[in-house]
Amino acid sequence: MKPVRSHSARAVLTQLLKQLICIAMVVIVILPILLTLFASLKTKGDMVTSSPLALPPQVTLENFKEVFGNKYLLIGFRNTIVIMAVSIFFNILLGTITAFVIERFQFRFKKVVVGLFFIGMLVPTFVTEIARFKIINGIGLYNTIGAPIVIYVASDLMQLYIYRQFLSTLPVSLDESALMDGCGYFQLFTRIIFPLLAPATATVAIIKAITIINDMYIPYLYMPKNKLRTLPTILIYVFFQRYILSGVAAGAVKE
Amino acid sequence: MNSLVKKQRRFILCALAIPVLLLICFVVVPAIDLIRMSFTNWDGLSSTSDFIKLDNYIAMFQDPDLWQSLKNNAVYFFVHLLMIPVELGFAVLLNSKLRGAKFYKTMVFLPYIINGVAISYVFSYFFSPINGAFDSILEALKLGMLSQSWLSDPKIVNFVLAFVSLWRFSGYHIILFMAALQSISQDVVEAATIDGANSWQMFRYIQTPSIMLMVDFVLFDNIRGAMQVFDIPFVMTSGGPGYASSTFTLYTIKTAFTFSNFGLAATMAVAIMVMIVIIYVVQNKIIHGIILKGE
Repeated sequence: MKPVRSHSARAVLTQLLKQLICIAMVVIVILPILLTLFASLKTKGDMVTSSPLALPPQVTLENFKEVFGNKYLLIGFRNTIVIMAVSIFFNILLGTITAFVIERFQFRFKKVVVGLFFIGMLVPTFVTEIARFKIINGIGLYNTIGAPIVIYVASDLMQLYIYRQFLSTLPVSLDESALMDGCGYFQLFTRIIFPLLAPATATVAIIKAITIINDMYIPYLYMPKNKLRTLPTILIYVFFQRYILSGVAAGAVKE
Repeated sequence: MNSLVKKQRRFILCALAIPVLLLICFVVVPAIDLIRMSFTNWDGLSSTSDFIKLDNYIAMFQDPDLWQSLKNNAVYFFVHLLMIPVELGFAVLLNSKLRGAKFYKTMVFLPYIINGVAISYVFSYFFSPINGAFDSILEALKLGMLSQSWLSDPKIVNFVLAFVSLWRFSGYHIILFMAALQSISQDVVEAATIDGANSWQMFRYIQTPSIMLMVDFVLFDNIRGAMQVFDIPFVMTSGGPGYASSTFTLYTIKTAFTFSNFGLAATMAVAIMVMIVIIYVVQNKIIHGIILKGE
């Protein structure tokens, strides 16, 4: 879509106001990250002596070298990619089909099924982890990359809401005419509904990818073998090691 | 017709079999186990535990630190709740005619991409009492007298932490709203424009009602998030000073892993679920009953 150039003063003013709001947002987002980046480029000594707002007097890549020199980094990277790709694939497949069935059909036990998915959003994972651990162990997935995949696919059901939102705007007459033309239910889903959900799928894929990359807790718990480490566990640990340490030091001074 | 019904039934069965099975195995069964645990004195290690009836529930209600923690959860809940209309507005703004919209969309989503623990460290540094970046900014703006002990003053610490949480999650909500706004059919929008609807009317009568499913989800997610907020206070203050910035979940985890009382922790987790449902039902009644009456 080409930007429509409006010549009225009002439109210019609106655009200006919008830009101001957005720039304010960018400053709030960027500032803390930027200042931390400055700090990460400073040496220990410079960090104490120079102002947090100042650019590093001499750039040190020591902290980054430490991160990228870690030998598990590459394995971690590969594991993360595999877990992410498989989990997202199943999340999308099962998410679309479940949302489709719930949005479009009436059937016995529908309330039970919807209720189950609601419970799925309710259960706080941290304490149920013990029970989940027993199950994962019982089916032999402990210490394999299958463990996080199964957990990511089974829990966190936000995709259902995105898909249901999109489905609620697709006309039901579409389904009816397809069925009238002799299309089966599977075909209706794969040929018509699934492609129409593509914009929602893009959003789901992005959000899921981020959730999985950022999650270091589940891989840490279910695949403690070093060989199976995923990327962020190491990155976070190594990269923020000195912050953890300086945080401890600052805490000691505070109290 | 009968064969169509049969076909439909077979399709529903095939479609739901795997998702429901996964859900039962990894969510429902652990949840039932959680409830069973809440009536025992299990310490997390022993192979046996005793059934102690309602003792955990009585102990929970008599624990003042836990209820102090719950009050802190309320801060997160209300701060985020007040921001939801702003987030919705932002989503509409970013979806409208806007120069550089792509750049702004990336920016708004940036905090959500970063790991929660990393964010907590970033802001520990940002609000640090020694050579902290935020105090330096205030000084640079000649506002040095506003400088506070951001993370150790019990009166403000929860608001500072809630701000960090806001910084982290607002972009997520905005992206969800933006995705939902894209689902609105262009015909509806065009029809409204032709009928002379202004931006506010469009927002109020077309866009918001059309994405109510997503608004509901975000409202629910807010309750869930506020009740389960954990990593930000854990890393930044570990709940301190004292229990001033502790949260219900933080306290629950301490009960389980520091005090080895998994039975009591399970009771607290059950309480979290019950509270989420109650708040959700009440919130729904208020929002759908009063604010959106007549739609």
